Amino acid sequence: MSFLAPWFLLAALAVGLPFWLHRLQTQSAERRPFSSTMLLETTARQVHVRKKLKYLFLLAFRITLLVLLALIFAQPIWTRALPGPLQQARATHLVLIDTSASMQRNDAFDRAIVAAREAIESIPNGDLLQVVSADDRVHVASDLAADKANHRAAVAALEASALRLDFGSAMTALDRLAADLPPPVQLHFVSDFQDSGMPVRFADLAGSSIAELIPHRIATDEQFNWQVEYAQARAADVDVGVLGTGTPAGATSVRLRLNDQPVAQDEVAATGRHVLTFSDLPLEPGDNRLTVTVAADDDLAIDNEWYSVIENAPPAPVPLITTNRAGLAATYLEAALRADPGANYRVASMVIGDADFRTLSRYRWALVDDLGAIGGDLEATLVAFLENGGSLLAFAGRGRSTSGQLPVSTHAVRPTAVGGGDDEYLTIGQIDTGHPLLAETEGWQQVNVTRNLAIDIQDGDEVLIRLEDDTPFLLERRLGQGRLLLLTAGLDNQWNDLPLRPVFVGFIVAAARYLSGAERSSKAYTTGDALPLSLLGGVSGQVVDPDGNSILSLADTTREQQVRLEQPGIYEVYTPQGDYLVAVNTDPRESSAAVITAEALDRWVASMAGQERRGPTAQVQNEPATLELWHALLFILVLLVIGESILGNLFLRPRTEL
Amino acid sequence: MSVMQTSQATARELLRPEVLARIRNLDLVARSVVEGFLIGLHRSPTFGFSQEFAEYRAYTEGDDPRFIDWNVYARTERTYIKRYLGDTNSHLMILTDASASMGFGGPPVSKLRYAQFLAASLAYLANRQHDAVGCMIFDEQVRDYRAPSTRAGRLQSVLHCIDHAEARIGTKFDKPFDKFREQVTRRGLVAVISDFYCDTEKLLAGVRPLAWQGQDVVLFHLLDDQELAPDVDSNVLFEDLETGEAVEVAPAFMQEIYPARMRSHIDSLATAAAGIGADHVLVKTSDSLDQALRNYLLFRQRRK
Repeated sequence: MSFLAPWFLLAALAVGLPFWLHRLQTQSAERRPFSSTMLLETTARQVHVRKKLKYLFLLAFRITLLVLLALIFAQPIWTRALPGPLQQARATHLVLIDTSASMQRNDAFDRAIVAAREAIESIPNGDLLQVVSADDRVHVASDLAADKANHRAAVAALEASALRLDFGSAMTALDRLAADLPPPVQLHFVSDFQDSGMPVRFADLAGSSIAELIPHRIATDEQFNWQVEYAQARAADVDVGVLGTGTPAGATSVRLRLNDQPVAQDEVAATGRHVLTFSDLPLEPGDNRLTVTVAADDDLAIDNEWYSVIENAPPAPVPLITTNRAGLAATYLEAALRADPGANYRVASMVIGDADFRTLSRYRWALVDDLGAIGGDLEATLVAFLENGGSLLAFAGRGRSTSGQLPVSTHAVRPTAVGGGDDEYLTIGQIDTGHPLLAETEGWQQVNVTRNLAIDIQDGDEVLIRLEDDTPFLLERRLGQGRLLLLTAGLDNQWNDLPLRPVFVGFIVAAARYLSGAERSSKAYTTGDALPLSLLGGVSGQVVDPDGNSILSLADTTREQQVRLEQPGIYEVYTPQGDYLVAVNTDPRESSAAVITAEALDRWVASMAGQERRGPTAQVQNEPATLELWHALLFILVLLVIGESILGNLFLRPRTEL
Repeated sequence: MSVMQTSQATARELLRPEVLARIRNLDLVARSVVEGFLIGLHRSPTFGFSQEFAEYRAYTEGDDPRFIDWNVYARTERTYIKRYLGDTNSHLMILTDASASMGFGGPPVSKLRYAQFLAASLAYLANRQHDAVGCMIFDEQVRDYRAPSTRAGRLQSVLHCIDHAEARIGTKFDKPFDKFREQVTRRGLVAVISDFYCDTEKLLAGVRPLAWQGQDVVLFHLLDDQELAPDVDSNVLFEDLETGEAVEVAPAFMQEIYPARMRSHIDSLATAAAGIGADHVLVKTSDSLDQALRNYLLFRQRRK
């Protein structure tokens, strides 16, 4: 026996009520002080026991009544396999329902549920069946069985998510699932078949374990949608990108809320892509919550809001270890870091022989304008700094330009290869553009190098830039947990003109991001992303979702390294190193109204057809006969109600007969 | 209606327990009861009480000088004692049970409070007749004791002793009565006020030596109406005030069997009292006090 609405069984807990009432009744004998019991004798026991039995009978009656009532609401059904030989399952069916964000468009998901039910009903009795759903992952919603009732209930329990569906990854996961099922496997795919869900390679859609794809397309024609595409902050200004598709005539307002307070509003005309700039937002120190909303009653509501976190912190100091506080190196570096506000760093000079370098451990990264000038205790301090996770951008100046060994990096220095005169120079020969440091920097070819240190490459060195004579110009070396970026030339504008070239600014800013770890951490995520707590400064911590609920349990706060972000909004992250805000938005691709063309879908179906996988066939029970029991229970309930009324009237009369 | 009839009606009102319950001062209660009782009392030598002058007697050593008639002394220079009808110059000891069961009863008054009214009235009446009055409050032991005396202030002392009695613990007659016998050497009247919830034999064991000692004993058997005819219409768990024992009884028992048992208990007490020459007077807390006082005077008359 099973139940269609088992949650109603919880109502059976109401049996506590008659228990409580009858407990009061059993305490009915009045206590009364009396001068002496010398002449009294217990005479009421037999009468009382008889009364108690009556009450117990009535109690049992009432409990049965309540339990029966709960059972009726839970809708019990009796399933019984029909007699006869076992049926041979002709095929195994997977019913896949798209639960991605795009399915929230109008009533698309309700229609998807209806389509899924129809697909289930269309499957021949006796065939094995399983319901699965897919967003950025594939979820099994029901167990493999021929009984359709459970599958119908599983379909009814599904809900659309805010996540993105990629058909390629979904098909890969389904193919693995189908590999364990009795062949042949038919896939009933209920989806809006967004074009943005298609993988880069069409071959990713094909699977070896699925014999047939039966698409059930949920039509989403004539769409009207507003979408916030992005919100890009520049200091106190914000650029907002808004896209309207199929929008009717008339302006629509775009509203900005900063830290839950409305701060600005603008209007956009119908249809098309618009970029709005909001200036001089009243930012508060630290992280600011920004919510951009398009006030439109359109088909897809989930993309009408965009969440962003704007950092408003003063530039952080980065130590420059130098021999000359007022040297050119300090000037060039300071100017480069200030040129890009996104870097948010300022140079703090520490003069060798004057500063206390024990404070280095406070910083994530540091600059050295002349590595050759480092020596003694400072070299040991820098090595310890690197081994403990710090990063260093070092320039090889004139300190030991002729021979010997470079401090910290321990590279052997050979006599200078270039340097016959000022009129001789080398340009950049090779650049590793695949490295994150150099991926977005341009203009290296304009740099002229008249002199540099010729060093011997060691194991573990990664040369990022080579001069045209193949000598290394920029290399990266891992030391302990830290990393060293070594430029084999100085910053004094005498050995090269790098500081004067535009590429220098981009290089220094990229180095700041790369060495500080800011590149690896972000405060903007898409639903489905994993939030790595360690990159935000903590090994562990707590994350509070936009609804204000803590995601991690108390035990997980000490060990959970990554948290999956499934809901759009602003998350609060608490780590031992500090508190942060993180913005999570739905993938903008889910807003796309473009769907797979009929030709492409046919090709997909065709690519799946005819893939026969041989394996053991399944035998299943005949489709069981289902009998709903609530009618009979209701009849019994009515009898019980009448009986209870009669008994209650008999037993609960005032006890004058005693 | 004559003035005398009005006065008697008012005095009778004052003898009702519910009226007396409003008076906190026991002295005032006793005075009100006795005066009211005397107003309503017909002058009759049968009752042995009167303020009528009887005779003069020569003063002898040991007589209370208060009773010397100084007018006669002024004329004759001889001391004479003035005597009235009813003066017996006897002793009255009032033994009041203050066990926990005496706390039962009411409203308007519990058995103990009624016993206090009765004891105080007896003491006041006896004092008015120049009898030496003493009292003893007891439960399982003697809790308070005042030896009989006619000295000035003795009545106040006795009333104070009675007024401060409180109902607590159980009842035993043998030990307190033995103690009482050791204290009293002279013959006199002994009034025992109790609900007598005890075995008759045990009561006799305490009272019989008193009778043998020559004391004239009257047992005021004090009961509440709820003890004689309990008002029970459903199962009740009765809790013994002295032992804490609980007994659940049905209304049928309380209406049929219990009254018979109570009647039997009272009869057995009366029979036992008669057997040792003591008087047994059943007093209900709803009765007015004049009935008890009348019984006392009758008893006193017989023993004179």
